[in-house]
Amino acid sequence: MSKKDEQVNKPRRSFLGMMTGGVLGVGALSTLWISVRSLVPNILYEPPRKFKIGLPETYQDGVSFIDEQRIYIMRDGNTFHAISGICTHLGCTLKFSPFSDEKEITVRNMSYASKGEFICPCHGSKFRDEGTNFAGPAPRPLLWFAVEIAPEDGQLTVDMAQEVDRDFRLVV
Amino acid sequence: MALLPKKTLLDKLLWSWKPESDREAGHAIVSNFLLHWFPNRVLLKSIAYNYSFYLGTICFTLFMILSVTGAILMFFYTPSVERAYWSIKDIDFVVSFGWFLRRSHRVSAHLMVIAVFLHMFRVFLTGAYKRGTSAGSSREFNWILGVVLFVLTLMLSFTGYLLPWDQLAYWAITVGTNIAASVPLIGNQIRYLMVGGNEIGQNTLIRFYVLHIVVLPAMLLAVSIWHMWRIRKDGGLAISEQERARVKEMKPSQPTKTKTYSLMGVSSGTTVQVFDPTTVNEEKSVPSSPNLVIRILLIVLATCAVTAILSAIFQAPLEEAANPRVTPNPAKAPWYFLGLQELVGYSALIGGVILPGVVVTWLGLIPFIDREKKDIGVWFFRTPELKWAIFGGLYGLIATVAALLLGVLAPMRSLFPTIESQIFFDLVNPATLLFVLVVALYFIVWKLSSSSRYATSATFCAFIICFILLTYTGMALRGPNWDFFWPWQAWPQHPIPF
Repeated sequence: MSKKDEQVNKPRRSFLGMMTGGVLGVGALSTLWISVRSLVPNILYEPPRKFKIGLPETYQDGVSFIDEQRIYIMRDGNTFHAISGICTHLGCTLKFSPFSDEKEITVRNMSYASKGEFICPCHGSKFRDEGTNFAGPAPRPLLWFAVEIAPEDGQLTVDMAQEVDRDFRLVV
Repeated sequence: MALLPKKTLLDKLLWSWKPESDREAGHAIVSNFLLHWFPNRVLLKSIAYNYSFYLGTICFTLFMILSVTGAILMFFYTPSVERAYWSIKDIDFVVSFGWFLRRSHRVSAHLMVIAVFLHMFRVFLTGAYKRGTSAGSSREFNWILGVVLFVLTLMLSFTGYLLPWDQLAYWAITVGTNIAASVPLIGNQIRYLMVGGNEIGQNTLIRFYVLHIVVLPAMLLAVSIWHMWRIRKDGGLAISEQERARVKEMKPSQPTKTKTYSLMGVSSGTTVQVFDPTTVNEEKSVPSSPNLVIRILLIVLATCAVTAILSAIFQAPLEEAANPRVTPNPAKAPWYFLGLQELVGYSALIGGVILPGVVVTWLGLIPFIDREKKDIGVWFFRTPELKWAIFGGLYGLIATVAALLLGVLAPMRSLFPTIESQIFFDLVNPATLLFVLVVALYFIVWKLSSSSRYATSATFCAFIICFILLTYTGMALRGPNWDFFWPWQAWPQHPIPF
């Protein structure tokens, strides 16, 4: 090979080297993408996020737990609201611990008569019965979900996909 | 022709253990795995029980026990949410000796986690992660492989934990996957990928199952073989560096009688002098076979015996079938994660993501933080390092107790009742305090002793003490609602939840 040929071949070789590396790299990345993407489910066989929980009059005054979806239904006379029963820290199921007597408690500059508090068994987080976290590692208040009356049969319907703020009340 | 003694079948099978000529001896080295595995001669110091405690051998033996018992258990276990729990029940009560297989699997898994921890402590405290002087020695790389094996062991243990699909399993995995969700920005996507959806169910079980039986063991096997091969490449156990240094100082004497090995056999005679501590100083070394081989076999036997005895004594617990509606109170992770759970109790982000990440990275970087060459392979208590190690241990004790006191007596949210920002509580909490104190320890000792080895050593000893204390706290001192109880205090009886 003459010197001139060598000079011509050098960039050609490095070009071919780059092409080979590029093809291998793209191949490896797309294989990785295929493998990881296949593991992200496209369909979930999980319970629906919006569901009926029975007629309003079947609920007693105070706190009821719907254990399938882990939500608390609060009834106060003719008003209803739904609070998530899942701790915002690491997802353990909360327990409602009622006070023997109602207590006057001030949250967000507003005082109200509190019936009890939520306690998390995993790391000891505590929440007011209106959802505000006040002790332990829980980083956020509990979620509130929209509650409505189903027009067709008058049952209470909870929509966990629809979060509402903490002033929400359904008046029946 | 002279009469040769008749060779029995046993002789033919075991010929490489008693070669009858130099040629056979050389051939034996190449064809017998055990002879090929170990060097020809080993230093007496290297094979002393009380130097290495053979913890690496114990770890690998336990892994072998786990592989065998695990393979048998796979015949009986069904990875489906409907069947998993009941197939474990069958293993415990129906399959002949199923209870023994499951107990052995569980006992050796726990022992392996303990042995891996102790092995890491041993390697650190003998300063055995430092590069030796022989060609190709790179112990710092082998230390990194060891850290990888440590993480793989914990992951194997954690994925195995879910498979019985009982309450313990279900809630440990709930907590574990939600810790992953507290990673900033991509946390929820990571959890979605781990769980295979929003709720722990069939997708999660099959994911953890495949990780547990194929992916992680294959990785662990490959890396541990690499890890053991590196020991040879690094010039043997680190204590041989002391001997090697001594040999290097010796004047090259007259060519001595030595042996060279080749694929064709052993040739005796006077050849180039090999500056290897095992060949130059023959009274300080012994042939690996039988001396090392017998010790290894004894350790393997002892490990199997201890596992069998413990399996006969301790029952493998199985709680009620997994029930997403009721969280057991208290809900606890496996014991080796209870130190982390204690920290997670202060902040999921700091205790569950940042601290473990930082600690594992720091462990991997230890050989690069401390590059000092003194006392390679010598137990810390034989060197001036001892006083710094004690200082670090005491400091760790005080720092952990201080952090725990703060966590138990003055929870952050009652100290700062008006602050609602979560970032504030992620930054200001006992876990962060402990972390800052231990980092400060490194710089204090480094300032006082101007030695990176002493500083790292003090920090490592503080880490050991923190780990033990936090694990103990999570294990014995935390009761219902994660409240603090002394061991002699009875837990309050909680009404059964509705």
